[in-house]
Amino acid sequence: MKYWYETTAVGRRILLELVRHRRSLILWAIFPISILLLNGFILAEGNKISLAEAFKLATPSTLVGSALFFSCLGGTISTIVSERESHTLKRLLISPLSGISYYLGILLAYGCIGVGQTILVCSVAAFFKVTFTGSFFFGGLIILLTIASYVGAGFLLGINFARRVEDVNGLVAGVGVPMLILGGAFFPTRFFSKELLLIAQFNPVYHMNEALSGISFQAKDWHDPEMLIHLRFLVGFFVVAIAGGWLTYRKMLNQEKSL
Amino acid sequence: MLKIAQLSKRFSDRQVLNQLCLHISAGEIYGLLGPNGAGKTTLINIICRLINSDQGTVEIDSQPISANTRSLIGIAPQENLLYQSLTCAENLDFFASLYGLRKAEKIRQIDYCLHSVNLQSRADSIVANLSGGMARRLNMAIALIHQPKLLILDEPTTGLDIEARYEIWELIQQLRDRGMTILLTTHLLEEAERLCQKIGILKNGKIVVEGSLEQLRSLIPAKEILIMRTREEDLAIAIAKKQNFIVRNYGSDLVFWLPEQKSLQEVINLFASVPIDSVAIQPVRLENIYVEVTTSSDY
Repeated sequence: MKYWYETTAVGRRILLELVRHRRSLILWAIFPISILLLNGFILAEGNKISLAEAFKLATPSTLVGSALFFSCLGGTISTIVSERESHTLKRLLISPLSGISYYLGILLAYGCIGVGQTILVCSVAAFFKVTFTGSFFFGGLIILLTIASYVGAGFLLGINFARRVEDVNGLVAGVGVPMLILGGAFFPTRFFSKELLLIAQFNPVYHMNEALSGISFQAKDWHDPEMLIHLRFLVGFFVVAIAGGWLTYRKMLNQEKSL
Repeated sequence: MLKIAQLSKRFSDRQVLNQLCLHISAGEIYGLLGPNGAGKTTLINIICRLINSDQGTVEIDSQPISANTRSLIGIAPQENLLYQSLTCAENLDFFASLYGLRKAEKIRQIDYCLHSVNLQSRADSIVANLSGGMARRLNMAIALIHQPKLLILDEPTTGLDIEARYEIWELIQQLRDRGMTILLTTHLLEEAERLCQKIGILKNGKIVVEGSLEQLRSLIPAKEILIMRTREEDLAIAIAKKQNFIVRNYGSDLVFWLPEQKSLQEVINLFASVPIDSVAIQPVRLENIYVEVTTSSDY
């Protein structure tokens, strides 16, 4: 019960701060919607397909790339960096708050934002007559794994490479944007050359995108050999990101204690 | 309430705390003084379990420090560690949740703390819009939210204007009147003089002198302090030595310890042959004791 109260307190506080700032929340809503609309219309026009088909192709990549990536990964980095910069982390270290609760609290806050973005993006897609033919359960699971992976990776990157709030933009742009492009978040991967596709195999965003697209939007079974590859990679990345994030987080706590 | 025995801590080649012993009784305000680097922050970090000591014991309310004693301590760091975009009440609510306060108790404590620091009318104000003094009071309210038995105030008035400083002093006095045990670190000796029942001076990792202000005054064999400015310092010192006055230099001031009380006229007559620019007699103050203890090799 202690962990639950602490986790919800941390999550509620982060959400409250985001609501107060508003700007981040508004941008996290506008950006994926605009990317979805642009991608949808470009795909429809370029491939001479219906809007529903085009938006069906564009929705998973928009969700994984333009929505969850910037909020869950970028947001986590911002939260950690600002907490370190304002030294409020030290006050948390003095309190009885457990490390697990703090970690889970951040996951909870960005999980809520991620779920909100998913509903928003899917609502826009539904407006263009996109039908979700696949498994809701597996689709939801992929989205949750994606959110948790991004939050874990946010801890890893934020603690190791961003000391100040100004560093966040550079980090997200320098690491994030090439990963997103190579993951098919902005351009469908079928436009990629063989060599580029080979490199994309090592990109978690590519597998998140392909897994979500295949299972939720193309009604592929999770037993499908192609889907299994994506799901295995996604689960592997989830484990690495969460474990790596946790270990880096422990390291940060020790550093902050000695300041 | 707080018992520290034989506490030592070394950082690489520097012995920061050296067999430090400290005892604070319940309801007492203990002023911990010391120059920068004397080990005050290290001591607070050990009490709060942010770092471990190499040796020694710390007990709070007769319990050795552990994860369980965290809720016995309230600490107001010298920086205002607050969430700037939240309101005063939201900041308190968040920290109350971390200390395990639930619903009705939480509401009651938030109300009590805001009232205690005289911020009830600013409960819904965003912290970023508060003045420095108000933010510092909120910083203290957060330290009080879980009703700690020991309150640690780390330089509570550093960086505040005089008006805000008086507000904080009044608040500390109110807490003292309610029986709160407080460990206060400060560089403002006037603050320690006003507020503390017991004062300890930390030097080279240990408390070298300790006691009430009166007890500390007895360390200096003087009834009063004579402060003089003159171009003929050597002549003044020679006269003072003939009178068995102890001579000290505090910056550009020449200071003599007077073994017995003298009127200003008597002093002027005594130094009649010296061209005096300014002269003043004052009682022995904590400042004199502090300078003597921290600069003298006898301690």
